[in-house]
Amino acid sequence: MNSAFIRTTSVTVAVLVLGVCVMTSLRAQTQASVQATTTTQKSVGRGWPVPMPLKPFDGYPDEDFVGAVTPWYYTTSTTATGGKAPAGIQPLPRDIFTSKDFYSDRDLWMDRRYYRCNSPIALDSIWGDYSSGPRALDNDDPKTAAWGHCERDYPRAAIVSPYPFKTAREHYEALLAETKTRGGPTEQTKDTLPDWNGRYTRNLNLVFGRGRRGGAGDPLPQVFAEPPQWVVGWANQMPTILSLLTPQYQQRYVQQMYHKVNSNAAQFSLMYCRPEGLLRWWSGPGGPSQLDVMVVPGRVQFLGGTDNALRHVQIGRAFDLKGKVPHLGAEVPSWLGETIGFWDGDTLVTWTSNVQGWFTHSSWEYSNQMQLIEIWTPRRFADGKFAGLEHETIFYDPEAFVQPVRDVRFFSRRGDLKDAPPFHLVHCNQTIFVGEDGRGTQVPPGTTIRYTVRDLYDRPWARIWEQYFEKGMKRPAETDELGGFK
Amino acid sequence: MQRLRRRLATGLTLATIAAVASATASAHHSFAMYDQSIKYVFTGVVERVNPDSSHLQIAFVPLNEKRDALVRDSSGKPATWLVEMGGSAASAREGITVNDFPRGTVFSVGLVPLRNGQRGGARVEGLFKCAVGKTPAPGQHCDSVEGATSHGNGGLVKPTATWTPE
Repeated sequence: MNSAFIRTTSVTVAVLVLGVCVMTSLRAQTQASVQATTTTQKSVGRGWPVPMPLKPFDGYPDEDFVGAVTPWYYTTSTTATGGKAPAGIQPLPRDIFTSKDFYSDRDLWMDRRYYRCNSPIALDSIWGDYSSGPRALDNDDPKTAAWGHCERDYPRAAIVSPYPFKTAREHYEALLAETKTRGGPTEQTKDTLPDWNGRYTRNLNLVFGRGRRGGAGDPLPQVFAEPPQWVVGWANQMPTILSLLTPQYQQRYVQQMYHKVNSNAAQFSLMYCRPEGLLRWWSGPGGPSQLDVMVVPGRVQFLGGTDNALRHVQIGRAFDLKGKVPHLGAEVPSWLGETIGFWDGDTLVTWTSNVQGWFTHSSWEYSNQMQLIEIWTPRRFADGKFAGLEHETIFYDPEAFVQPVRDVRFFSRRGDLKDAPPFHLVHCNQTIFVGEDGRGTQVPPGTTIRYTVRDLYDRPWARIWEQYFEKGMKRPAETDELGGFK
Repeated sequence: MQRLRRRLATGLTLATIAAVASATASAHHSFAMYDQSIKYVFTGVVERVNPDSSHLQIAFVPLNEKRDALVRDSSGKPATWLVEMGGSAASAREGITVNDFPRGTVFSVGLVPLRNGQRGGARVEGLFKCAVGKTPAPGQHCDSVEGATSHGNGGLVKPTATWTPE
């Protein structure tokens, strides 16, 4: 079974083929092989199509890579190098690679040339510090950074949630009410549970490093089709992602990118043994590249992703709605949040809340208000054999986002749990510390260093950047009201 | 007589440890770092609640004796203290959460301080939150304020000393 987004997109394509000329910059998606979905009519809040035609899916979208470099795929697609601008592009007098104060450049933030038309993930990896990605600047000089493709961008309209809900609660309750009209939620027993148990992986991991091999390789099956993975960060210009964020979170995102490309002062959470946070589960670096799914009555377990990510869906339970955010246990925000859910036939609908706000490198920061609606829908090959799970996520965060956004991706089932290598519980042993220059540096055992204790809940990454790299910048004053006391 | 004194001393020590332990059930570290012969009581303003799993911590700035200004160090910076207590889930059951103690909340707490003189300590006995917009009278604590809420068992610990900034 495939979700409605592909099937309906195919219908849209058919209409296009018949002569309706829209979105001339995008080619139509042809998904002839996809199968019918179980959703016989449009749901109130799941499976809606991306509201525009998509390019044909083959799993290696090299013509969509926006930035000069794209890690994992290991692709270089520069349009100009050595600090020169591409033909026909008038560069800005200063940009994120040359500016001495990004705060003073706020008027330029929404101009893609400020980033030399690089995607978020290209900016994050342009120094070549992703082992899976090439480098695109010369002589450690950010002024020489390469340009990406100014003409490419995944449309904002395809990113924002198509659903009419303002909150995750509204969304979840609407889906719950919908399943009740069909006699749901489905009470699964050991005998009726869908057999989802197994190990899964993302499409990205199936084509990992293909650019290093010159792009050669077979296309992925059409049943694996997914829209461009904008969350991963390769499909967009920076201003498109910024347009989704509130002004405060725009500033935080530009701050992160500035210190990545200009200061060369990356801060990946685990390098300092900080937690990874929930969004890491969707980000490029985070995966999960290997996802173990276990299903029992009353609970679905997802195990996979960096930092021992373990998520439990509590089936049939309800959040306590008193308090600032819905919560299941104590009103204590947690790194991966708490998740409830229900079955609608063989589709799993979940709601995650009580999340600790955080950031993952290459992605935007999010707040404790972030809540997620996720829909897991099985897909099958033409012969009926189970292929994997479509994973639709709607992100609600009124503090960080100006409106909810959505991602749809696919996890293919790679094998049985009994065949998967054992899970290794890892514990972070910090070997990298903030050096005298504010950048992370490896410290051998036995070395005595000067160490500043950071407040984990006060954006420690930002405090380090501010201390070492923002002297003389015109950073807007933060409100520091402490109960009104002097 | 000497044996009686020794027993009394032992009893007092055990009582102190028990008091600390009650506020930090399931403690995951030794309390040797704290000077348990000293008990301070502060009324201060919340900077931030850190909801760590093993020990919730509140970073706060003490209010002066008049309760109308922050206590500052010799350089003029707010003299931030850090008080730890039980785990975040246990603290939530006492009504102490990130959401219930936002920045600017005025509260009173007793603690045993660090031996090394740095501004940190472990909570002992009860904690009181002043009603929003209210502060205690000079020299008083939140347990004297109308509308204050009590968190954890018992009242404020009886102080044995008063902290003064360096």
